[in-house]
Amino acid sequence: MATAGNSNINAKLVLLGDMGAGKSSLVLRFVKGQFLEFQESTIGAAFFSQTLALSDATVKLEIWDTAGQERYHSLAPMYYRGASAAIIAYDITNTESFERAKKWVDELQKQGNPNMVTALAGNKADLEENRKVAAEEAKAYAEVNGLFFMETSAKTAVNVNDIFYEIARRLPRAQPAQNPGGMILTNTPSEIAQSSNCCS
Amino acid sequence: MQEPDHHDLSDDSDYAASQQQGLGKSTFRSDSGKFGAGGDGGVWEVVYFRENVAIHPTQYSSERISGRLRLIKQGDALFMTWIPYKAGQSGVDPARYGENSSLSEKDQNLYTIRDLPLEDVHSIRRHTPALGWQYIIVVLLSGLAYPPLYFYNSGVREFLSTIKQHAFIARSSDDANVFLVNNFQDPLQKTLSSLELHGVASIANATSHISFGSVSSNQDINRGSSSNSEYSGKPRKRIQDPARDISIQVLEKFSLVTKFARETTTQLFRESQNNGFNNYGKIQKNEDAPSKSSVAPDHKIEANIHNVPVPTDPLKNELSLIWGKPRKLPMGLEEWNIFLDPEGRIMDPVALKKRIFYGGVQNGLRKEVWKFLLGYFSYNSTYAEREYLSSVKKKNYETIKFQWQSISPDQAKMFTKFRERKGLIEKDVVRTDRSMSFYDGDENKNVELLRDVLLTYSFYNFDLGYCQGMSDFLSPILFVIEDESESFWCFAALMQRLGSNFNRDQSGMHAQLFALSKLVEILDCPLHNYLKQADCLNYFFCFRWILIQFKREFEYDQIMLLWEVLWTHYFSEHFHLYICVAILKKYRQKIIGEQMDFDTLLKFINELSCGIDLDETIRDAEALCNCAGENGEACIPPGTPPSLPIETPMMYQQDDEDDFGKSGCI
Ligand SMILES: Nc1nc2c(ncn2[C@@H]2O[C@H](COP(=O)(O)OP(=O)(O)O)[C@@H](O)[C@H]2O)c(=O)[nH]1
Ligand SMILES: [Mg+2]
Repeated sequence: MATAGNSNINAKLVLLGDMGAGKSSLVLRFVKGQFLEFQESTIGAAFFSQTLALSDATVKLEIWDTAGQERYHSLAPMYYRGASAAIIAYDITNTESFERAKKWVDELQKQGNPNMVTALAGNKADLEENRKVAAEEAKAYAEVNGLFFMETSAKTAVNVNDIFYEIARRLPRAQPAQNPGGMILTNTPSEIAQSSNCCS
Repeated sequence: MQEPDHHDLSDDSDYAASQQQGLGKSTFRSDSGKFGAGGDGGVWEVVYFRENVAIHPTQYSSERISGRLRLIKQGDALFMTWIPYKAGQSGVDPARYGENSSLSEKDQNLYTIRDLPLEDVHSIRRHTPALGWQYIIVVLLSGLAYPPLYFYNSGVREFLSTIKQHAFIARSSDDANVFLVNNFQDPLQKTLSSLELHGVASIANATSHISFGSVSSNQDINRGSSSNSEYSGKPRKRIQDPARDISIQVLEKFSLVTKFARETTTQLFRESQNNGFNNYGKIQKNEDAPSKSSVAPDHKIEANIHNVPVPTDPLKNELSLIWGKPRKLPMGLEEWNIFLDPEGRIMDPVALKKRIFYGGVQNGLRKEVWKFLLGYFSYNSTYAEREYLSSVKKKNYETIKFQWQSISPDQAKMFTKFRERKGLIEKDVVRTDRSMSFYDGDENKNVELLRDVLLTYSFYNFDLGYCQGMSDFLSPILFVIEDESESFWCFAALMQRLGSNFNRDQSGMHAQLFALSKLVEILDCPLHNYLKQADCLNYFFCFRWILIQFKREFEYDQIMLLWEVLWTHYFSEHFHLYICVAILKKYRQKIIGEQMDFDTLLKFINELSCGIDLDETIRDAEALCNCAGENGEACIPPGTPPSLPIETPMMYQQDDEDDFGKSGCI
């Protein structure tokens, strides 16, 4: 078990955003340190987990990567219910994906867990020459809406670990007594993994 | 019985009208009454009651099932009940509606809704088409939905207003035709509660309400309602649980097996089981498995592996006796020619399908055979007829393709839907099977063909449009068929069967997931019970399997084989569901032993990708299909994909990408 004063946190994180924004690529980069130019589309949902060792806590992120197409929107609540964190991704070369991201923010504000830690990720930051969404605009939007914002690149790995670590840092430290999603997250000694600075 | 209106429906013109005319009450008041009933439930009351409410399982009017819909209040709880009429029962106007369904009673009972607590309902969607009957779709908290209930004598608004008097119901702010039940005051609760996993536990109950109906409170209600003609004054016998019947029958079928044989096969089975278990290491090597094992569950797996006693597979003896037949080599050209008469007709399509079921088709021959399997060519067509058809269809295709090709950049600016669709398709084709040489490299012609065919299809079937997953279906078809126009028509034929997998309301997927849960219930009750207890009964962990027919679970050559096996519809139109059961059963030990929860199970299932032995799975599925027999088919509601669609051709109204935030009717 954890040493005294060190807490173990299990947190469910959901990735939302337009299709093609790079959600799967972000997770893949973070969890496996890989990038695929032709990452196949996500059907249904994919689930990953990754454990982060922070100075004051061990955080196990249980990550749900979802299908982005609007057609599958009716499944979304199943994925974000009970989530304590979300990354909403858009593609900086695509203004529509930024608009879609805002709609996700609205939806989570209306329907999601009110204490959710939400990050806005302007992905594909490596494609500066095709940029359509100004970083300042997104930053201002994020501030107004209480999100933290980073521009990321799953391709070059810039800010990818950072955004996940920042989420882990911001998660409330006291393990919430009740679990809004009704999911019981087990917390057995064997689950405390080694630290995972594996994806840098 | 009137309560103050917490949830104002006065903006609902239908509701307002019903209030004005007093229809809401007069229709059922005469039937409502208070009866003392035994048991703790106390007083119950029929608060709503409507004759000739029907389910249309297929497009055939002869198979429609009429019944009586009631809302029953017992204590604070409200229950919904829909019971099909028995033959010759009152309430049916045979002149107008015909005899009640020609479906067997068993099929009809599949649809019975017995004392469904309104607590278990997420929402009710109302449809009031300009032509035809009004109907409602009841969506449960688990996300499962009942088939549409058609109100032949109208009455939808009274139905809703009655619910409103007794339960929390509010119109969705996003869709005026969706009424959210249990829509708690806290708006945050609204969506969250709708899909919580623990809601699935109640689907389990709800499901058992549907098919078992033997909960004691039901009996109270049933006994109480003996004044209704339906029960003809007699206390109603416990409804037999059809699922249980089936397993009993299955077991009886096998009780003939001698003790000796059973022991031998048990022994055999244990060995194969152990092998299967050790093989797990192989599966973990697949691409999705975490390569760096900082992830905890691995430890957990080892720690827990033998902790939980796993109930034995109820069919383990039986299955080893009726094991699927050994697989054959793929059919080659010589063998194929034997099936053709001199003019090119296929003389014995059943024999052909059987042959393909047991071994598939050689690669070079697929191009020809798939066109029959997919329904593009008919089996009794001649060479000449097919040649002619192809040329007609080719022109046809060009015409449809020209619809979007002729859109100028200026027109495109004013055609958002077109731009959106094109965008979606372009995003997907560049990431479809690009590791195959057929689709790899920059400016690959075949990737362009994928795009053209999909875009053309989205104009051909504009209502369905494009949906993620379609490129997965088209890719092997184009690879095999090669020709653009013929690929298109083969794909269109496939979508006729599987298009509803992509319905916005997920109805096609729900129907299949529901049928799958029923099949597991009869073929592996302990596994079913485990999934129930683990709140996994919505079977969403099988979503990807079913949506794209295992495309992501097998290597390319394997998927071509599996698809041709499925498309024969040789043992069952729904053989893919038996494939699901076969795979789940193969890993039942692991799933139950490690007490996988929903997340773990989803991850586990996704990671099986490319680690499943296809031949073995097909054989297992064949055995399961034979084992379940008619009872298995009875688990699958008519019209479940890939059965040909029911009702009028175009029921979709997909509204592509523009209704964000609609409270989904999942
Ligand atoms: N240049 C660049 N391409 C990216 C980046 N992230 C994702 N992509 C590409 O964008 C496409 C869609 O990515 P994917 O992760 O599948 O998006 P999803 O639909 O949101 O899951 C793929 O072809 C990726 O290779 C990035 O940071 N930079
Ligand atoms: Mg994805």
